Amino acid sequence: MNTYRRHSHRDLLHRWEGNPAITAEDIPFAVNTVFNGSPIVTPEAIYLLIRIEGMRGHSFFALARSTDGLHFTVDEKPAMLPETEGFFALYESNGIEDPRVTFLEDTCYIVYTAVGDFGHRIALAKTADYVHYERLGLISEPGNKDGILFPRKINGKYVRFDRPIGKGQGSIWISYSPDLKYWGESKVVIPPRGGYWDDYRVGASVPPIETPEGWLEIYHGVKMTSAGPIYRIGLALLDLDNPAKVIKRGDDPILSPREDYERIGDIPNVCFACGAVIGDNGAMKIYYGAADTSICIATTTLEELMTEGFGKT
Amino acid sequence: MPQYKRATGRDIVHRWEGNPAITVSDLDFQCLDIRNAGATIYKGGIVLLVTVQHLSGCQYIHLAREEKNNRFVVETEPFLSPSLDPEYGVHESMGVLDPRIVNIKGTYYITYLTDGEHGYRLGLAKTKDFKTVERMGLISEPDMKAGTLFPKKVKGKYARLERPQEGSGIWISYSEDLIFWGDSEFLFPPRSGWDCSRIGIGPPPIEIDLGWLLIYYGAKDTSAGPLYRLGTAIIDKNDPTHIIGRCTVPVLAPREIYERIGNTPNSVFSTGALLKEDGTLVIFYGAADSCINIGTVSIQTIIESTMQEEAAF
Repeated sequence: MNTYRRHSHRDLLHRWEGNPAITAEDIPFAVNTVFNGSPIVTPEAIYLLIRIEGMRGHSFFALARSTDGLHFTVDEKPAMLPETEGFFALYESNGIEDPRVTFLEDTCYIVYTAVGDFGHRIALAKTADYVHYERLGLISEPGNKDGILFPRKINGKYVRFDRPIGKGQGSIWISYSPDLKYWGESKVVIPPRGGYWDDYRVGASVPPIETPEGWLEIYHGVKMTSAGPIYRIGLALLDLDNPAKVIKRGDDPILSPREDYERIGDIPNVCFACGAVIGDNGAMKIYYGAADTSICIATTTLEELMTEGFGKT
Repeated sequence: MPQYKRATGRDIVHRWEGNPAITVSDLDFQCLDIRNAGATIYKGGIVLLVTVQHLSGCQYIHLAREEKNNRFVVETEPFLSPSLDPEYGVHESMGVLDPRIVNIKGTYYITYLTDGEHGYRLGLAKTKDFKTVERMGLISEPDMKAGTLFPKKVKGKYARLERPQEGSGIWISYSEDLIFWGDSEFLFPPRSGWDCSRIGIGPPPIEIDLGWLLIYYGAKDTSAGPLYRLGTAIIDKNDPTHIIGRCTVPVLAPREIYERIGNTPNSVFSTGALLKEDGTLVIFYGAADSCINIGTVSIQTIIESTMQEEAAF
């Protein structure tokens, strides 16, 4: 390939020089692609629960293991496959996608998207050992995805972000539940912004991060072009006691597709985060799928996000 | 540009290390792009009929001869140009493309696609010497694509495979004389997964002991445009509507840069394949509607992969 001048410019997030961190070549069995992984931090290890699109075209999850959060080894066998029998089978016949991991009340929950012939639904599972996953329920109506649990109850209720499509518009909504099973009181929180980089669709990406100033949400914003969508990553800050209230929203994306591995793949021009890890000193690693073809890592600090991510005011 | 870790994964068809085999820079004339090639053996050498989009945007069919070692020389003058004859002209005003060649008793029949004011149709032409070519007729109704003759009679009649727009699946039709066609029957449809949006036959059927081996393309529409991959099926010789086997995973998917970047990104598409005496199947495939490539696989491997039971993941 020719050596072109780099076009990567400056994004607030710093790309890890080892990107792409995980590609199809790193999976011990034949797959089409690997992307969108959510981290699970334990005292011993940093795991990533990763989405793999199998050769057949249906997605499932595998566990990637690391000690440093950068160099991963993928298990020989998938961790969670679409259900083929029982109640879930009908709603997972075309795969399971985009896991988001939240530790809540000392339990490791996974919110994922179940894809069936009748649409996308949000599903909830939990795991104790990161290898076996127990399904708890399908917790949305059809036409909903990008479900993410908050890491604690707020005002006595469980809270999640989700992304239904209403009138063709994809906004981030919030829903509440007394028991993780029955959900309601849904409200629009973050809609697309006309004319901005996120003017077509938005969806929650990283499980909300609690900071003294509010819940920090790292979300994805989509701009539709005649050549297809461009997926970028941006920031919003929400009230700690009432996360349906937006305190502020970053004007600019913090990461946009620029590198070849973000621009070339099954879905070109995609940066799509599914989780982040924060170290003791505030150092952050954000895990994002690139071009629906590989998993990449970007770094920053919580302080940098809070001070630079919302513009210099 | 930095060299990133490969993300190419594993496919059943092996890419020739010299790919792309024919690009626009190999031509001694200017054009927009070079696309799909029909293939046959004439006087002991490989002859390709290549779809070339001229600078005007109109598509022509050019002849290419193998010089040596997979290197081809494309003739400057088109082998088949859009017709100026009033009967054909209105149906070929935007081009002739995607030729499939069969040799029936020393006559080479070329089924090609016509692009005109009233929709796509199938055209049939013949040659004995690859110098002169004679049009035999426009043999389909409009909105018909991906047509090829069988290299032998089926059930005592000439037969062809085709892809009507409605239903997006592969059909078979029969004829006593190659001019009048009927007895059309449905063979198989798109299905959930990598070939969910449209399918159509690639090269002419290849006769094997089990039946006819079909190499077909499967398209999956995404928000960023379609992904075109190649799959296989085996149909019964006496009853072609009996599907003996159909692959569960594609045998070739766009992964290399020359398959991902071009005028139609993320596509591999074949209209020509040759079975060598040693059992090697040589597949000539267009990539990204911008170049011609060569893939090889042993016929035994491709039969086994076609008959393989659905894998768990």
